[in-house]
Amino acid sequence: MHLFMILFPIMLTLIFSLVTIPLLVWMERRVAALIQNRLGPNRCNIKGMRLGGIIQPIADMMKLIFKEEFYPAHIKQKFYYILAPGIVFGAAFLSFIVVPYADDITLDGFTYHIQALPIELGILWFVAIASLGVYGIIIAGWSSHNKYSILGALRASSQVISYEIAMGLAIVSFLITYDSISLNTMVQAQGELLFGFIPAWGIIMQPLAGLIFIVTAFAETNRAPFDAPEGESEIVAAYHTEYSAMKFALFFMGEYIAMSASSAIIVTLLFGGYQIPFLNTQVMHQHINLVLIALLILVPLLSMGFIRWMQKNNSCDLSHRRETKYATILITVFVICFESFLFYLLSSGLSYEQSSVGIMILQILSFAFKVMLMNFVFVWVRWTFPRFRYDQIQHLGWKILIPLALLNIFFTAIFVILAGV
Amino acid sequence: MAVKVVPRYGNTLKEKSYIWAVVAGMKLTLKNFTTNLSDTSCIPTCEYPETQPSDITDRYRGLHLLTKRDDDTVRCVACFMCATACPSECIFIEAQERTDGVDEKEPKTFSIDLLECIFCGYCVEACPCDAIRMDTGIFSIIAATREEFIVDKEKLLSHTGIFGKENSLAQ
Ligand code: SF4
Ligand code: SF4
Repeated sequence: MHLFMILFPIMLTLIFSLVTIPLLVWMERRVAALIQNRLGPNRCNIKGMRLGGIIQPIADMMKLIFKEEFYPAHIKQKFYYILAPGIVFGAAFLSFIVVPYADDITLDGFTYHIQALPIELGILWFVAIASLGVYGIIIAGWSSHNKYSILGALRASSQVISYEIAMGLAIVSFLITYDSISLNTMVQAQGELLFGFIPAWGIIMQPLAGLIFIVTAFAETNRAPFDAPEGESEIVAAYHTEYSAMKFALFFMGEYIAMSASSAIIVTLLFGGYQIPFLNTQVMHQHINLVLIALLILVPLLSMGFIRWMQKNNSCDLSHRRETKYATILITVFVICFESFLFYLLSSGLSYEQSSVGIMILQILSFAFKVMLMNFVFVWVRWTFPRFRYDQIQHLGWKILIPLALLNIFFTAIFVILAGV
Repeated sequence: MAVKVVPRYGNTLKEKSYIWAVVAGMKLTLKNFTTNLSDTSCIPTCEYPETQPSDITDRYRGLHLLTKRDDDTVRCVACFMCATACPSECIFIEAQERTDGVDEKEPKTFSIDLLECIFCGYCVEACPCDAIRMDTGIFSIIAATREEFIVDKEKLLSHTGIFGKENSLAQ
Protein backbone atom coordinates (compact mmCIF):
# COMPACT_ATOMS: atom_id res chain seq x y z
CA MET A 1 0.00 0.00 0.00
CA HIS A 2 2.77 2.36 1.01
CA LEU A 3 4.75 1.63 -2.15
CA PHE A 4 1.64 1.86 -4.28
CA MET A 5 0.74 5.28 -2.96
CA ILE A 6 4.25 6.49 -3.75
CA LEU A 7 4.23 5.02 -7.25
CA PHE A 8 0.67 6.09 -7.92
CA PRO A 9 1.43 9.74 -8.83
CA ILE A 10 4.26 8.59 -11.10
CA MET A 11 1.83 6.29 -12.88
CA LEU A 12 -0.58 9.19 -13.16
CA THR A 13 2.15 11.32 -14.72
CA LEU A 14 2.84 8.59 -17.27
CA ILE A 15 -0.85 8.38 -18.04
CA PHE A 16 -1.33 12.12 -18.28
CA SER A 17 1.71 12.65 -20.47
CA LEU A 18 2.21 9.51 -22.59
CA VAL A 19 -1.17 7.81 -22.76
CA THR A 20 -2.91 11.03 -23.64
CA ILE A 21 -0.74 11.57 -26.75
CA PRO A 22 -2.84 9.41 -29.08
CA LEU A 23 -5.93 10.99 -27.55
CA LEU A 24 -4.57 14.46 -28.19
CA VAL A 25 -3.54 13.64 -31.75
CA TRP A 26 -7.01 12.28 -32.32
CA MET A 27 -8.57 15.32 -30.72
CA GLU A 28 -6.44 17.65 -32.80
CA ARG A 29 -7.44 15.99 -36.04
CA ARG A 30 -11.09 15.61 -35.16
CA VAL A 31 -11.55 19.12 -33.77
CA ALA A 32 -9.69 20.56 -36.76
CA ALA A 33 -11.97 18.63 -39.07
CA LEU A 34 -15.14 19.70 -37.33
CA ILE A 35 -14.03 23.33 -37.27
CA GLN A 36 -13.37 23.13 -41.00
CA ASN A 37 -16.66 21.33 -41.75
CA ARG A 38 -15.00 17.99 -42.39
CA LEU A 39 -15.32 14.65 -40.64
CA GLY A 40 -11.73 13.81 -39.81
CA PRO A 41 -10.19 10.37 -39.40
CA ASN A 42 -12.96 7.81 -39.25
CA ARG A 43 -11.82 4.85 -41.32
CA CYS A 44 -9.19 3.04 -39.26
CA ASN A 45 -10.77 0.20 -37.37
CA ILE A 46 -10.11 -3.07 -35.64
CA LYS A 47 -12.79 -5.53 -36.75
CA GLY A 48 -15.21 -2.69 -37.48
CA MET A 49 -14.61 -0.95 -34.13
CA ARG A 50 -13.52 2.56 -34.95
CA LEU A 51 -14.07 4.19 -31.54
CA GLY A 52 -14.75 7.43 -33.33
CA GLY A 53 -11.34 7.32 -35.01
CA ILE A 54 -9.10 6.80 -31.97
CA ILE A 55 -7.58 3.81 -33.77
CA GLN A 56 -6.04 6.18 -36.32
CA PRO A 57 -3.28 7.68 -34.12
CA ILE A 58 -2.35 4.17 -32.97
CA ALA A 59 -1.90 3.16 -36.60
CA ASP A 60 0.14 6.32 -37.17
CA MET A 61 2.35 5.42 -34.23
CA MET A 62 2.91 1.92 -35.60
CA LYS A 63 3.93 3.44 -38.90
CA LEU A 64 6.47 5.74 -37.27
CA ILE A 65 7.94 2.95 -35.16
CA PHE A 66 8.51 0.65 -38.12
CA LYS A 67 9.89 3.27 -40.45
CA GLU A 68 13.52 3.23 -41.49
CA GLU A 69 15.91 5.17 -39.27
CA PHE A 70 17.51 7.43 -41.81
CA TYR A 71 20.58 9.58 -41.13
CA PRO A 72 21.29 12.22 -43.77
CA ALA A 73 24.90 11.97 -44.92
CA HIS A 74 25.68 15.67 -44.55
CA ILE A 75 25.19 15.74 -40.81
CA LYS A 76 28.48 16.17 -38.97
CA GLN A 77 27.43 16.52 -35.34
CA LYS A 78 25.61 13.26 -35.06
CA PHE A 79 25.62 13.34 -31.28
CA TYR A 80 23.72 16.63 -31.11
CA TYR A 81 21.53 15.56 -33.97
CA ILE A 82 20.33 12.55 -31.98
CA LEU A 83 20.33 14.37 -28.65
CA ALA A 84 17.99 17.16 -29.80
CA PRO A 85 14.69 15.26 -30.03
CA GLY A 86 15.53 13.66 -26.69
CA ILE A 87 15.87 17.08 -25.07
CA VAL A 88 12.54 18.25 -26.47
CA PHE A 89 10.80 15.10 -25.33
CA GLY A 90 12.55 14.89 -21.98
CA ALA A 91 12.00 18.53 -21.09
CA ALA A 92 8.31 18.30 -21.94
CA PHE A 93 7.97 15.14 -19.88
CA LEU A 94 9.93 16.40 -16.87
CA SER A 95 8.01 19.66 -16.71
CA PHE A 96 4.92 17.60 -16.05
CA ILE A 97 6.02 15.88 -12.88
CA VAL A 98 5.49 18.66 -10.35
CA VAL A 99 1.78 19.04 -11.03
CA PRO A 100 -0.45 18.00 -8.12
CA TYR A 101 -3.24 15.70 -9.28
CA ALA A 102 -5.20 15.67 -6.05
CA ASP A 103 -5.09 17.04 -2.54
CA ASP A 104 -2.69 15.51 0.00
CA ILE A 105 -4.16 12.33 1.38
CA THR A 106 -3.61 10.70 4.76
CA LEU A 107 -3.77 6.90 4.85
CA ASP A 108 -2.66 4.77 7.82
CA GLY A 109 -1.04 7.81 9.40
CA PHE A 110 1.11 8.67 6.36
CA THR A 111 0.48 11.80 4.35
CA TYR A 112 1.01 11.29 0.65
CA HIS A 113 1.40 14.02 -1.91
CA ILE A 114 -0.30 13.14 -5.16
CA GLN A 115 2.59 14.67 -7.08
CA ALA A 116 5.17 12.64 -8.97
CA LEU A 117 7.97 14.83 -7.61
CA PRO A 118 6.69 16.17 -4.29
CA ILE A 119 9.00 19.19 -4.05
CA GLU A 120 8.12 22.63 -2.85
CA LEU A 121 9.76 24.29 -5.85
CA GLY A 122 6.68 23.69 -7.95
CA ILE A 123 6.28 26.49 -10.41
CA LEU A 124 10.01 27.28 -10.53
CA TRP A 125 10.69 23.73 -11.65
CA PHE A 126 8.19 24.14 -14.46
CA VAL A 127 9.71 27.44 -15.60
CA ALA A 128 13.21 25.98 -15.46
CA ILE A 129 12.54 22.71 -17.24
CA ALA A 130 9.92 23.75 -19.77
CA SER A 131 12.19 26.40 -21.24
CA LEU A 132 14.90 23.76 -21.73
CA GLY A 133 12.78 22.35 -24.56
CA VAL A 134 13.77 25.29 -26.73
CA TYR A 135 17.41 24.18 -26.48
CA GLY A 136 16.36 20.95 -28.14
CA ILE A 137 14.90 22.92 -31.02
CA ILE A 138 17.95 25.15 -31.32
CA ILE A 139 20.36 22.21 -31.24
CA ALA A 140 18.23 20.35 -33.76
CA GLY A 141 18.27 23.34 -36.08
CA TRP A 142 22.00 23.78 -35.73
CA SER A 143 23.00 20.15 -36.16
CA SER A 144 20.61 19.57 -39.06
CA HIS A 145 23.03 21.72 -41.02
CA ASN A 146 20.71 23.29 -43.51
CA LYS A 147 19.40 26.81 -43.96
CA TYR A 148 15.78 26.18 -43.21
CA SER A 149 16.56 24.40 -39.97
CA ILE A 150 18.89 27.16 -38.82
CA LEU A 151 16.29 29.77 -39.66
CA GLY A 152 13.82 27.80 -37.58
CA ALA A 153 16.29 27.61 -34.71
CA LEU A 154 16.89 31.36 -34.95
CA ARG A 155 13.19 32.02 -34.87
CA ALA A 156 12.88 29.78 -31.83
CA SER A 157 15.59 31.71 -30.00
CA SER A 158 14.11 35.06 -30.97
CA GLN A 159 10.79 33.82 -29.71
CA VAL A 160 12.14 32.51 -26.44
CA ILE A 161 13.69 35.84 -25.48
CA SER A 162 10.41 37.60 -26.16
CA TYR A 163 8.01 35.58 -24.08
CA GLU A 164 10.01 34.04 -21.23
CA ILE A 165 10.36 37.33 -19.35
CA ALA A 166 6.68 38.12 -19.60
CA MET A 167 5.92 34.60 -18.41
CA GLY A 168 8.22 34.94 -15.42
CA LEU A 169 6.72 38.30 -14.50
CA ALA A 170 3.19 36.95 -14.80
CA ILE A 171 4.16 34.14 -12.46
CA VAL A 172 5.56 36.66 -9.97
CA SER A 173 2.07 38.18 -9.67
CA PHE A 174 0.74 34.77 -8.78
CA LEU A 175 3.50 34.24 -6.23
CA ILE A 176 2.54 37.54 -4.56
CA THR A 177 -1.13 36.57 -4.56
CA TYR A 178 -0.69 33.08 -3.16
CA ASP A 179 2.41 33.84 -1.09
CA SER A 180 3.93 30.49 -2.03
CA ILE A 181 5.77 28.77 -4.85
CA SER A 182 4.43 25.33 -4.08
CA LEU A 183 1.79 24.36 -6.60
CA ASN A 184 -0.19 22.36 -4.08
CA THR A 185 -0.48 25.33 -1.71
CA MET A 186 -1.66 27.43 -4.63
CA VAL A 187 -4.35 24.93 -5.53
CA GLN A 188 -5.47 24.63 -1.92
CA ALA A 189 -5.81 28.42 -1.83
CA GLN A 190 -7.97 28.25 -4.93
CA GLY A 191 -10.43 25.97 -3.18
CA GLU A 192 -11.63 28.90 -1.04
CA LEU A 193 -14.54 31.11 -1.99
CA LEU A 194 -14.24 34.80 -2.80
CA PHE A 195 -17.00 36.90 -1.15
CA GLY A 196 -18.61 33.61 -0.25
CA PHE A 197 -19.84 32.61 -3.71
CA ILE A 198 -17.13 32.88 -6.41
CA PRO A 199 -14.43 30.20 -6.47
CA ALA A 200 -11.12 32.01 -5.79
CA TRP A 201 -9.51 30.73 -8.96
CA GLY A 202 -6.36 32.36 -10.26
CA ILE A 203 -8.09 33.74 -13.31
CA ILE A 204 -10.49 35.65 -11.06
CA MET A 205 -7.84 36.86 -8.62
CA GLN A 206 -5.37 37.84 -11.37
CA PRO A 207 -7.17 38.18 -14.70
CA LEU A 208 -4.42 40.15 -16.42
CA ALA A 209 -1.55 37.98 -15.24
CA GLY A 210 -3.69 34.98 -16.13
CA LEU A 211 -4.15 36.21 -19.68
CA ILE A 212 -0.43 36.95 -20.05
CA PHE A 213 0.44 33.53 -18.66
CA ILE A 214 -1.91 31.79 -21.08
CA VAL A 215 -0.48 33.70 -24.06
CA THR A 216 3.11 32.96 -23.04
CA ALA A 217 2.28 29.33 -22.32
CA PHE A 218 1.03 29.06 -25.90
CA ALA A 219 4.35 30.49 -27.03
CA GLU A 220 6.22 28.06 -24.78
CA THR A 221 4.66 25.07 -26.52
CA ASN A 222 5.56 26.37 -30.00
CA ARG A 223 2.03 25.91 -31.15
CA ALA A 224 -0.03 28.17 -33.38
CA PRO A 225 -0.24 31.14 -33.36
CA PHE A 226 3.34 31.02 -32.07
CA ASP A 227 4.68 28.28 -34.33
CA ALA A 228 7.02 30.52 -36.26
CA PRO A 229 10.00 28.18 -35.50
CA GLU A 230 8.15 25.43 -37.34
CA GLY A 231 6.56 27.56 -40.06
CA GLU A 232 5.97 24.73 -42.50
CA SER A 233 4.56 27.07 -45.14
CA GLU A 234 7.66 29.28 -45.14
CA ILE A 235 10.67 27.27 -44.04
CA VAL A 236 9.55 23.72 -44.82
CA ALA A 237 9.36 22.24 -41.33
CA ALA A 238 12.44 24.00 -40.01
CA TYR A 239 14.00 22.13 -37.14
CA HIS A 240 12.52 18.75 -37.94
CA THR A 241 13.14 18.85 -41.69
CA GLU A 242 15.97 16.35 -41.42
CA TYR A 243 14.33 14.04 -38.92
CA SER A 244 12.47 10.90 -39.79
CA ALA A 245 10.82 7.91 -38.16
CA MET A 246 11.12 7.71 -34.37
CA LYS A 247 13.33 10.81 -34.12
CA PHE A 248 10.57 12.83 -35.70
CA ALA A 249 8.03 11.07 -33.53
CA LEU A 250 9.93 12.21 -30.44
CA PHE A 251 9.57 15.83 -31.56
CA PHE A 252 5.97 15.22 -32.35
CA MET A 253 5.20 13.58 -29.03
CA GLY A 254 7.25 16.22 -27.23
CA GLU A 255 5.00 18.88 -28.70
CA TYR A 256 1.90 17.15 -27.42
CA ILE A 257 3.34 16.46 -23.99
CA ALA A 258 4.41 20.10 -23.78
CA MET A 259 0.88 21.07 -24.68
CA SER A 260 -0.50 18.79 -21.98
CA ALA A 261 2.03 20.07 -19.45
CA SER A 262 1.20 23.68 -20.25
CA SER A 263 -2.48 22.90 -19.92
CA ALA A 264 -1.83 21.24 -16.59
CA ILE A 265 0.11 24.25 -15.31
CA ILE A 266 -2.48 26.70 -16.64
CA VAL A 267 -5.21 24.70 -14.95
CA THR A 268 -3.19 24.51 -11.73
CA LEU A 269 -2.42 28.21 -11.62
CA LEU A 270 -5.57 29.70 -13.10
CA PHE A 271 -8.47 27.29 -13.02
CA GLY A 272 -8.32 25.80 -9.58
CA GLY A 273 -6.22 22.73 -10.36
CA TYR A 274 -7.92 19.62 -9.11
CA GLN A 275 -10.54 21.57 -7.15
CA ILE A 276 -14.15 20.97 -8.05
CA PRO A 277 -15.81 24.41 -7.95
CA PHE A 278 -17.52 25.13 -4.57
CA LEU A 279 -16.41 21.74 -3.23
CA ASN A 280 -13.00 21.79 -1.63
CA THR A 281 -11.65 18.80 0.22
CA GLN A 282 -13.13 19.66 3.62
CA VAL A 283 -16.58 20.41 2.21
CA MET A 284 -16.55 17.14 0.32
CA HIS A 285 -15.58 15.25 3.48
CA GLN A 286 -18.52 16.76 5.31
CA HIS A 287 -21.05 16.08 2.60
CA ILE A 288 -19.70 12.87 1.12
CA ASN A 289 -23.18 11.31 0.94
CA LEU A 290 -24.54 14.27 -1.02
CA VAL A 291 -21.62 13.96 -3.43
CA LEU A 292 -22.41 10.29 -3.95
CA ILE A 293 -26.08 11.06 -4.59
CA ALA A 294 -25.09 13.76 -7.10
CA LEU A 295 -22.92 11.18 -8.88
CA LEU A 296 -25.81 8.73 -8.75
CA ILE A 297 -27.91 11.20 -10.73
CA LEU A 298 -25.26 12.73 -12.99
CA VAL A 299 -23.57 9.61 -14.35
CA PRO A 300 -26.69 8.01 -15.91
CA LEU A 301 -27.83 11.37 -17.26
CA LEU A 302 -24.50 12.04 -18.95
CA SER A 303 -24.26 8.50 -20.31
CA MET A 304 -27.79 8.75 -21.67
CA GLY A 305 -26.94 12.00 -23.40
CA PHE A 306 -23.82 10.44 -24.87
CA ILE A 307 -25.66 7.34 -26.09
CA ARG A 308 -28.32 9.45 -27.77
CA TRP A 309 -25.69 11.59 -29.44
CA MET A 310 -23.84 8.49 -30.60
CA GLN A 311 -26.95 6.83 -32.00
CA LYS A 312 -27.81 9.97 -33.89
CA ASN A 313 -24.37 10.64 -35.32
CA ASN A 314 -22.65 7.26 -35.61
CA SER A 315 -25.23 5.62 -37.82
CA CYS A 316 -24.67 7.34 -41.14
CA ASP A 317 -23.17 4.17 -42.57
CA LEU A 318 -24.81 0.78 -42.06
CA SER A 319 -21.57 -1.00 -41.21
CA HIS A 320 -21.16 1.22 -38.16
CA ARG A 321 -24.47 0.27 -36.59
CA ARG A 322 -22.89 -2.77 -34.95
CA GLU A 323 -20.31 -0.61 -33.22
CA THR A 324 -23.00 1.73 -31.93
CA LYS A 325 -24.93 -1.25 -30.58
CA TYR A 326 -21.93 -2.71 -28.76
CA ALA A 327 -20.95 0.66 -27.33
CA THR A 328 -24.49 1.24 -26.10
CA ILE A 329 -24.54 -2.13 -24.34
CA LEU A 330 -21.10 -1.57 -22.85
CA ILE A 331 -21.95 1.86 -21.49
CA THR A 332 -25.25 0.64 -20.09
CA VAL A 333 -23.56 -2.26 -18.30
CA PHE A 334 -20.92 0.09 -16.93
CA VAL A 335 -23.53 2.54 -15.66
CA ILE A 336 -25.52 -0.23 -14.00
CA CYS A 337 -22.41 -1.62 -12.24
CA PHE A 338 -21.38 1.86 -11.19
CA GLU A 339 -24.83 2.67 -9.83
CA SER A 340 -25.05 -0.52 -7.81
CA PHE A 341 -21.57 0.16 -6.44
CA LEU A 342 -22.70 3.65 -5.39
CA PHE A 343 -25.84 2.23 -3.77
CA TYR A 344 -23.70 -0.22 -1.86
CA LEU A 345 -21.44 2.60 -0.67
CA LEU A 346 -24.41 4.73 0.33
CA SER A 347 -26.07 1.95 2.28
CA SER A 348 -22.92 0.78 4.07
CA GLY A 349 -21.58 4.25 4.76
CA LEU A 350 -18.00 5.37 4.24
CA SER A 351 -15.17 5.50 6.70
CA TYR A 352 -12.99 8.61 6.72
CA GLU A 353 -10.20 6.92 4.77
CA GLN A 354 -12.57 5.44 2.22
CA SER A 355 -14.08 8.82 1.59
CA SER A 356 -10.57 10.32 1.25
CA VAL A 357 -9.81 7.82 -1.50
CA GLY A 358 -13.13 8.60 -3.17
CA ILE A 359 -12.41 12.32 -3.01
CA MET A 360 -8.96 11.75 -4.43
CA ILE A 361 -10.42 9.90 -7.41
CA LEU A 362 -12.98 12.64 -7.98
CA GLN A 363 -10.28 15.29 -7.82
CA ILE A 364 -8.08 13.42 -10.30
CA LEU A 365 -11.04 13.13 -12.64
CA SER A 366 -11.83 16.80 -12.27
CA PHE A 367 -8.20 17.63 -12.99
CA ALA A 368 -8.17 15.38 -16.06
CA PHE A 369 -11.37 16.97 -17.29
CA LYS A 370 -9.98 20.48 -16.90
CA VAL A 371 -6.70 19.56 -18.59
CA MET A 372 -8.57 18.04 -21.52
CA LEU A 373 -10.71 21.16 -21.78
CA MET A 374 -7.59 23.30 -21.81
CA ASN A 375 -6.05 21.05 -24.46
CA PHE A 376 -9.18 21.59 -26.46
CA VAL A 377 -8.62 25.34 -26.17
CA PHE A 378 -5.07 24.84 -27.45
CA VAL A 379 -6.38 22.96 -30.48
CA TRP A 380 -9.21 25.41 -30.97
CA VAL A 381 -6.82 28.36 -30.97
CA ARG A 382 -4.49 26.58 -33.38
CA TRP A 383 -7.23 26.14 -35.94
CA THR A 384 -8.53 29.67 -35.52
CA PHE A 385 -5.52 31.95 -35.78
CA PRO A 386 -2.87 32.45 -38.40
CA ARG A 387 0.78 32.45 -37.42
CA PHE A 388 2.50 35.52 -35.95
CA ARG A 389 5.47 36.87 -37.83
CA TYR A 390 8.55 36.64 -35.61
CA ASP A 391 8.92 40.41 -35.28
CA GLN A 392 5.28 40.57 -34.28
CA ILE A 393 6.01 38.07 -31.52
CA GLN A 394 8.84 40.28 -30.28
CA HIS A 395 6.61 43.33 -30.48
CA LEU A 396 3.93 41.53 -28.50
CA GLY A 397 6.40 40.22 -25.96
CA TRP A 398 8.54 43.27 -25.32
CA LYS A 399 6.17 46.18 -25.92
CA ILE A 400 2.87 44.81 -24.68
CA LEU A 401 3.18 41.81 -22.39
CA ILE A 402 6.23 42.86 -20.33
CA PRO A 403 4.96 46.39 -19.45
CA LEU A 404 1.54 44.97 -18.65
CA ALA A 405 3.04 42.26 -16.47
CA LEU A 406 5.22 44.81 -14.65
CA LEU A 407 2.24 47.09 -14.03
CA ASN A 408 0.29 44.13 -12.79
CA ILE A 409 3.01 43.20 -10.29
CA PHE A 410 3.12 46.81 -9.13
CA PHE A 411 -0.61 47.03 -8.47
CA THR A 412 -0.78 43.57 -6.94
CA ALA A 413 2.03 44.46 -4.54
CA ILE A 414 0.37 47.75 -3.58
CA PHE A 415 -2.91 45.97 -3.01
CA VAL A 416 -1.32 43.27 -0.90
CA ILE A 417 0.51 45.83 1.26
CA LEU A 418 -2.56 48.04 1.67
CA ALA A 419 -4.79 45.10 2.48
CA GLY A 420 -2.14 44.19 5.07
CA VAL A 421 -2.18 40.51 4.30
CA MET B 1 -8.24 63.86 -60.89
CA ALA B 2 -10.19 63.19 -57.78
CA VAL B 3 -8.24 61.57 -55.01
CA LYS B 4 -9.93 58.57 -53.52
CA VAL B 5 -9.32 58.33 -49.81
CA VAL B 6 -9.17 54.73 -48.72
CA PRO B 7 -10.20 54.28 -45.10
CA ARG B 8 -7.43 52.80 -42.97
CA TYR B 9 -8.38 50.28 -40.34
CA GLY B 10 -6.55 48.98 -37.35
CA ASN B 11 -5.55 52.18 -35.59
CA THR B 12 -8.16 52.50 -32.89
CA LEU B 13 -7.40 51.17 -29.44
CA LYS B 14 -10.13 48.59 -29.76
CA GLU B 15 -8.63 47.20 -32.93
CA LYS B 16 -5.09 47.42 -31.64
CA SER B 17 -5.84 45.42 -28.52
CA TYR B 18 -6.77 42.45 -30.76
CA ILE B 19 -9.03 41.14 -28.00
CA TRP B 20 -12.29 41.69 -29.89
CA ALA B 21 -10.94 40.21 -33.09
CA VAL B 22 -9.62 37.23 -31.14
CA VAL B 23 -12.99 36.70 -29.46
CA ALA B 24 -14.85 37.04 -32.77
CA GLY B 25 -12.59 34.48 -34.45
CA MET B 26 -12.85 32.02 -31.60
CA LYS B 27 -16.63 32.41 -31.59
CA LEU B 28 -16.87 31.62 -35.27
CA THR B 29 -14.79 28.45 -35.09
CA LEU B 30 -16.57 27.30 -31.94
CA LYS B 31 -19.92 27.76 -33.68
CA ASN B 32 -18.75 25.61 -36.58
CA PHE B 33 -17.44 23.01 -34.14
CA THR B 34 -20.58 22.77 -32.02
CA THR B 35 -23.03 22.68 -34.94
CA ASN B 36 -21.01 19.97 -36.65
CA LEU B 37 -20.53 18.00 -33.43
CA SER B 38 -24.18 18.05 -32.46
CA ASP B 39 -25.31 16.96 -35.91
CA THR B 40 -22.71 15.42 -38.20
CA SER B 41 -25.23 15.28 -41.02
CA CYS B 42 -24.68 18.98 -41.72
CA ILE B 43 -21.10 18.26 -42.79
CA PRO B 44 -21.03 18.49 -46.57
CA THR B 45 -18.23 15.96 -47.16
CA CYS B 46 -19.29 12.66 -48.74
CA GLU B 47 -18.10 9.24 -47.62
CA TYR B 48 -16.06 8.92 -50.78
CA PRO B 49 -15.59 5.36 -51.98
CA GLU B 50 -19.09 4.39 -50.90
CA THR B 51 -20.77 7.58 -52.03
CA GLN B 52 -19.56 8.81 -55.41
CA PRO B 53 -19.60 12.53 -56.05
CA SER B 54 -22.76 13.68 -57.78
CA ASP B 55 -21.69 17.20 -58.67
CA ILE B 56 -19.34 16.69 -61.62
CA THR B 57 -20.07 19.58 -63.98
CA ASP B 58 -20.06 19.33 -67.76
CA ARG B 59 -16.83 21.34 -67.89
CA TYR B 60 -15.01 18.88 -65.64
CA ARG B 61 -11.83 17.56 -67.24
CA GLY B 62 -11.76 13.84 -66.65
CA LEU B 63 -10.24 10.99 -68.63
CA HIS B 64 -9.90 11.63 -72.37
CA LEU B 65 -11.94 10.02 -75.10
CA LEU B 66 -11.75 9.97 -78.89
CA THR B 67 -15.08 10.81 -80.49
CA LYS B 68 -16.57 9.04 -83.48
CA ARG B 69 -18.21 10.22 -86.65
CA ASP B 70 -21.86 9.52 -87.42
CA ASP B 71 -20.80 6.35 -89.23
CA ASP B 72 -18.99 5.14 -86.09
CA THR B 73 -15.46 5.62 -87.42
CA VAL B 74 -12.77 7.58 -85.69
CA ARG B 75 -13.12 11.33 -86.08
CA CYS B 76 -9.46 12.14 -85.54
CA VAL B 77 -7.53 13.09 -88.68
CA ALA B 78 -4.07 12.70 -87.13
CA CYS B 79 -3.18 16.34 -87.56
CA PHE B 80 -0.93 16.35 -84.47
CA MET B 81 -2.43 19.62 -83.22
CA CYS B 82 -3.16 18.14 -79.80
CA ALA B 83 0.27 16.57 -79.50
CA THR B 84 1.81 19.96 -80.36
CA ALA B 85 -0.33 21.84 -77.89
CA CYS B 86 0.22 19.38 -75.09
CA PRO B 87 2.50 20.97 -72.49
CA SER B 88 3.58 17.65 -71.04
CA GLU B 89 4.17 16.04 -74.43
CA CYS B 90 2.31 12.93 -73.47
CA ILE B 91 0.25 12.33 -76.62
CA PHE B 92 1.83 9.87 -79.01
CA ILE B 93 0.28 9.64 -82.49
CA GLU B 94 1.29 7.63 -85.50
CA ALA B 95 -0.54 8.58 -88.68
CA GLN B 96 -1.54 6.40 -91.62
CA GLU B 97 -3.43 6.90 -94.83
CA ARG B 98 -7.13 6.37 -94.61
CA THR B 99 -8.42 4.05 -97.28
CA ASP B 100 -12.16 3.94 -96.71
CA GLY B 101 -12.71 7.26 -98.45
CA VAL B 102 -14.17 9.10 -95.50
CA ASP B 103 -11.07 11.17 -95.00
CA GLU B 104 -7.44 11.24 -96.02
CA LYS B 105 -5.62 10.46 -92.79
CA GLU B 106 -6.31 8.65 -89.57
CA PRO B 107 -4.25 7.73 -86.54
CA LYS B 108 -2.69 4.30 -86.59
CA THR B 109 -1.92 4.55 -82.91
CA PHE B 110 -3.05 7.22 -80.52
CA SER B 111 -1.93 6.88 -76.93
CA ILE B 112 -1.84 9.21 -73.95
CA ASP B 113 0.46 8.69 -71.00
CA LEU B 114 -1.84 9.54 -68.11
CA LEU B 115 1.02 9.65 -65.62
CA GLU B 116 2.47 12.61 -67.47
CA CYS B 117 -0.82 14.25 -68.40
CA ILE B 118 -1.72 17.19 -66.21
CA PHE B 119 -5.35 17.28 -67.36
CA CYS B 120 -5.03 20.83 -68.63
CA GLY B 121 -7.44 20.36 -71.50
CA TYR B 122 -5.24 22.04 -74.09
CA CYS B 123 -5.53 19.03 -76.38
CA VAL B 124 -9.30 19.42 -76.40
CA GLU B 125 -9.02 23.10 -77.25
CA ALA B 126 -6.43 22.47 -79.95
CA CYS B 127 -8.31 19.83 -81.85
CA PRO B 128 -9.87 21.26 -85.02
CA CYS B 129 -12.33 18.40 -85.50
CA ASP B 130 -13.68 17.92 -81.97
CA ALA B 131 -12.06 14.50 -82.05
CA ILE B 132 -10.69 14.49 -78.51
CA ARG B 133 -12.71 15.34 -75.44
CA MET B 134 -12.34 14.98 -71.70
CA ASP B 135 -15.98 14.56 -70.74
CA THR B 136 -15.99 10.94 -69.56
CA GLY B 137 -16.47 12.10 -65.97
CA ILE B 138 -13.84 9.55 -64.91
CA PHE B 139 -11.61 11.16 -62.30
CA SER B 140 -10.08 8.16 -60.62
CA ILE B 141 -7.70 6.20 -62.80
CA ILE B 142 -6.10 3.17 -61.23
CA ALA B 143 -3.52 0.76 -62.55
CA ALA B 144 -0.86 -1.51 -61.12
CA THR B 145 2.01 -0.77 -63.50
CA ARG B 146 3.27 2.29 -65.32
CA GLU B 147 2.57 0.74 -68.69
CA GLU B 148 -1.10 0.35 -67.90
CA PHE B 149 -1.39 4.10 -67.48
CA ILE B 150 -0.67 4.59 -71.17
CA VAL B 151 -4.15 4.40 -72.72
CA ASP B 152 -4.29 3.48 -76.39
CA LYS B 153 -6.61 4.28 -79.25
CA GLU B 154 -9.02 1.40 -78.65
CA LYS B 155 -9.44 2.33 -75.00
CA LEU B 156 -9.94 5.99 -75.84
CA LEU B 157 -12.52 5.15 -78.48
CA SER B 158 -14.41 2.83 -76.16
CA HIS B 159 -15.39 5.58 -73.72
CA THR B 160 -18.53 7.58 -74.18
CA GLY B 161 -19.06 11.06 -72.83
CA ILE B 162 -21.47 11.36 -69.94
CA PHE B 163 -22.68 14.67 -71.29
CA GLY B 164 -24.38 15.14 -74.65
CA LYS B 165 -22.48 15.65 -77.84
CA GLU B 166 -23.53 19.28 -77.95
CA ASN B 167 -21.43 19.92 -74.83
CA SER B 168 -18.15 20.38 -76.56
CA LEU B 169 -15.41 22.76 -75.65
CA ALA B 170 -14.24 22.85 -79.26
CA GLN B 171 -17.44 23.50 -81.14
S1 SF4 C 1 -4.89 17.35 -70.97
FE1 SF4 C 1 -3.09 18.65 -71.31
S2 SF4 C 1 -1.40 17.37 -70.61
FE2 SF4 C 1 -3.13 16.00 -70.86
S3 SF4 C 1 -2.93 15.19 -72.91
FE3 SF4 C 1 -4.23 17.00 -73.04
S4 SF4 C 1 -2.87 18.67 -73.52
FE4 SF4 C 1 -1.60 16.98 -72.79
S1 SF4 D 1 -7.23 14.44 -81.76
FE1 SF4 D 1 -7.69 16.27 -82.90
S2 SF4 D 1 -5.87 17.51 -82.76
FE2 SF4 D 1 -5.28 15.50 -82.08
S3 SF4 D 1 -4.48 14.55 -83.97
FE3 SF4 D 1 -6.65 13.98 -83.82
S4 SF4 D 1 -7.69 15.54 -85.04
FE4 SF4 D 1 -5.64 16.35 -84.61
